[in-house]
Amino acid sequence: MNGSLKSNYGIWEKLTKIDRRLIYLFLFLVVLIPLIYPFRLAPRAMTPVLKLFNHIDTIPKDKCLVISVDYTPDTEPELHPMTIALLRHAFSRKIKVGILCISLLGLGLAQDAISIVTNEFNSKALTRNDSVIYGRDYVFWGWQTPVLVPILGMGENISKVFPVDYYGNKTDTLEIMKTIKNYNDVGILVSISGSAIPFYYITYAQTQFGVRIGVGSTAVQAADFYPYINSGQVTGMMSGMKGAAEYEQLVEERCKIYARRKATDAMAAQTAAHLWIMITIIIGNIGYFILRRRK
Amino acid sequence: MNISTNPWIWVSAILTLGIFSFLYKENPFYRVCEHLFVGIANGYSITFVWHRVLLPTLINPVAKGERLWLVPVAIVGALYFTRFIPKISWLVRIPIAIVMGYGAGASIPRAIEASIIEQLKATVITRSTFESIYTGLWAIVIFVGVIATISYFFFSRERKGVLRPLSYLGIIFIMLGFGASFGYTVMARISLLIGRLTFLLRDWLGIIK
Amino acid sequence: MKVRLPLILVLITGILGALPFIIPHRIAQNFDNEFRNSVLRIIAAFSLVLGVGSIVRHHIYKIQRRKENWEYSWILLVSLVITSIIGLFGGIEGNGSLPTRIGDFYFDIQTIYMHAAIPLGATMFAMLSFFMASAAYRAFRARNFEATLLLLAAFIVMLGSVPLSTYVLPKLPDFAEWILTVPNTAAKRGMGFGIALGSLATSLKIILGIERGWLGGTK
Repeated sequence: MNGSLKSNYGIWEKLTKIDRRLIYLFLFLVVLIPLIYPFRLAPRAMTPVLKLFNHIDTIPKDKCLVISVDYTPDTEPELHPMTIALLRHAFSRKIKVGILCISLLGLGLAQDAISIVTNEFNSKALTRNDSVIYGRDYVFWGWQTPVLVPILGMGENISKVFPVDYYGNKTDTLEIMKTIKNYNDVGILVSISGSAIPFYYITYAQTQFGVRIGVGSTAVQAADFYPYINSGQVTGMMSGMKGAAEYEQLVEERCKIYARRKATDAMAAQTAAHLWIMITIIIGNIGYFILRRRK
Repeated sequence: MNISTNPWIWVSAILTLGIFSFLYKENPFYRVCEHLFVGIANGYSITFVWHRVLLPTLINPVAKGERLWLVPVAIVGALYFTRFIPKISWLVRIPIAIVMGYGAGASIPRAIEASIIEQLKATVITRSTFESIYTGLWAIVIFVGVIATISYFFFSRERKGVLRPLSYLGIIFIMLGFGASFGYTVMARISLLIGRLTFLLRDWLGIIK
Repeated sequence: MKVRLPLILVLITGILGALPFIIPHRIAQNFDNEFRNSVLRIIAAFSLVLGVGSIVRHHIYKIQRRKENWEYSWILLVSLVITSIIGLFGGIEGNGSLPTRIGDFYFDIQTIYMHAAIPLGATMFAMLSFFMASAAYRAFRARNFEATLLLLAAFIVMLGSVPLSTYVLPKLPDFAEWILTVPNTAAKRGMGFGIALGSLATSLKIILGIERGWLGGTK
């Protein structure tokens, strides 16, 4: 009797002490299998994503969308699909786009997103009008430092902040810059970041110049932006990969842009991993409670 | 399976596996990758600071004889180098003081407006809050939650009387907030893993489309 | 001099930073723009010297003293020098004086960044998923009411934020969104007031010379 109690006790104790490498292995498999055998789970857009999409969708003709690519390689999987989805949305609606980086290491990522989306559009374009042309439809201003220089400076004169664009062209010689002088010409500025940069945009650009701010945030800090959505200081937000997937869904449904949806494709693996982590927490808790009761 | 023949994809894959090897235990392969990252990231930064800030803003105009007043500004900037010369290392405080002073000064009025006044305005309940029964109800919950959370961090008085239940209510709101943040953190970390595995399976091994 | 001059400068530039928000006059705005776009930008660009210089000095020191794992410092220094040379002389798009391609093989700064820096940085953070899963399993216990609440909120948000819940429990995503938009907003706003007041006080203390930690000693 005593022996069987002891062995039961051992099982529960083992449940609280599973080798970490086993947990790693299962997590790895749980993510891997849905990637190899995918099943598409279409996400439903939540309110902050819908608000962002609708605002961009209704940007007046004389205003542009500014995307601030403020993320670095470490958050690329979460945030890069957002930049791509925003560019697809803007180009499909013929909205002019300005792109800048506050994080230096975001430059290469911004360039990558631009190449992907412009290639998608230009490979299907039949006329010059259908094409997405640099300097006419979009501009990549590049990077400036420190953070206050571009954020405050763009309220006055964007060309002064970025005398040359990313490619080394004189910014004020570009056709698009005749219509984009400062924040007055910006319909919304979306800061995509895994750091505090969107807070800088809220504090400096939104407060002083009244420009609309959208946020593309890593899921880690997305919860911190809700007070600002509630106060109206942030117009809309995409939270993590799920937010990107929701935006991709909206772009496909409403703009009829059919292209690779990196974030949506990852949702099956994301679902499986969430379930696995919940299971591990439950297992740990079951073991903990049974051991506690016996003690 | 359609393995990539692009040498750069192989480089990326090997570096990815090098970092992942840390999961087993710390090893020389991981350390090489770690040091490589710091070196490359710094080299990249030097490139852009030179080509996109110093050349167009300082060197090109000064070389043409324009905006010569930028020369003393550059000298002030160059004082950062004195950090590595012990006898005059205090001079590094000058450029730091200029950048930090401006940043601190610029933040004061704007942060008051953005983080305090606007947030207070959004917390206050007015007649317009009651557009619908739900918006009104949730606004009341937010109002109570804000007061309760603040009272939890109010350490100047002993938690007696009304402060005791109010601060306890504060903990409940904080726990819900932190719980939500944790849920989202799980999502974030998993996304990053998916990103890397997608690269290995798609771009490198060609197993998935 | 060594202390007073930086303190005077921090006070003057602090006032210069705050005034344009309070005085919207053209002269104040123009001065502010010029100060930011020229003076601040150039000085801040030089701050890279501090970061790069410190790293280089630290690793040279490690190599000289044969400190633990000193061999890897060579990798850092060599990769830093090589990427800097490629970037400075090869140009950003590979259009500089230094050739950055051999046949079809490109090795310009952007290519190196895309295929070395991105995978390295992204994988470092991807590893956190494993550590987080292991930590959650070991430490996330419903020990009391508050911890249970935290756990429940986390579960609802975790489940509500994946598309599966839309099919299985259609109301769950809405409930997860409610947690984020109501109780989470209240908690984060309450804490936000404290954080904002704290950072305001710190900024003011820096400008007024009360906070002197940034001087790195008072000599």
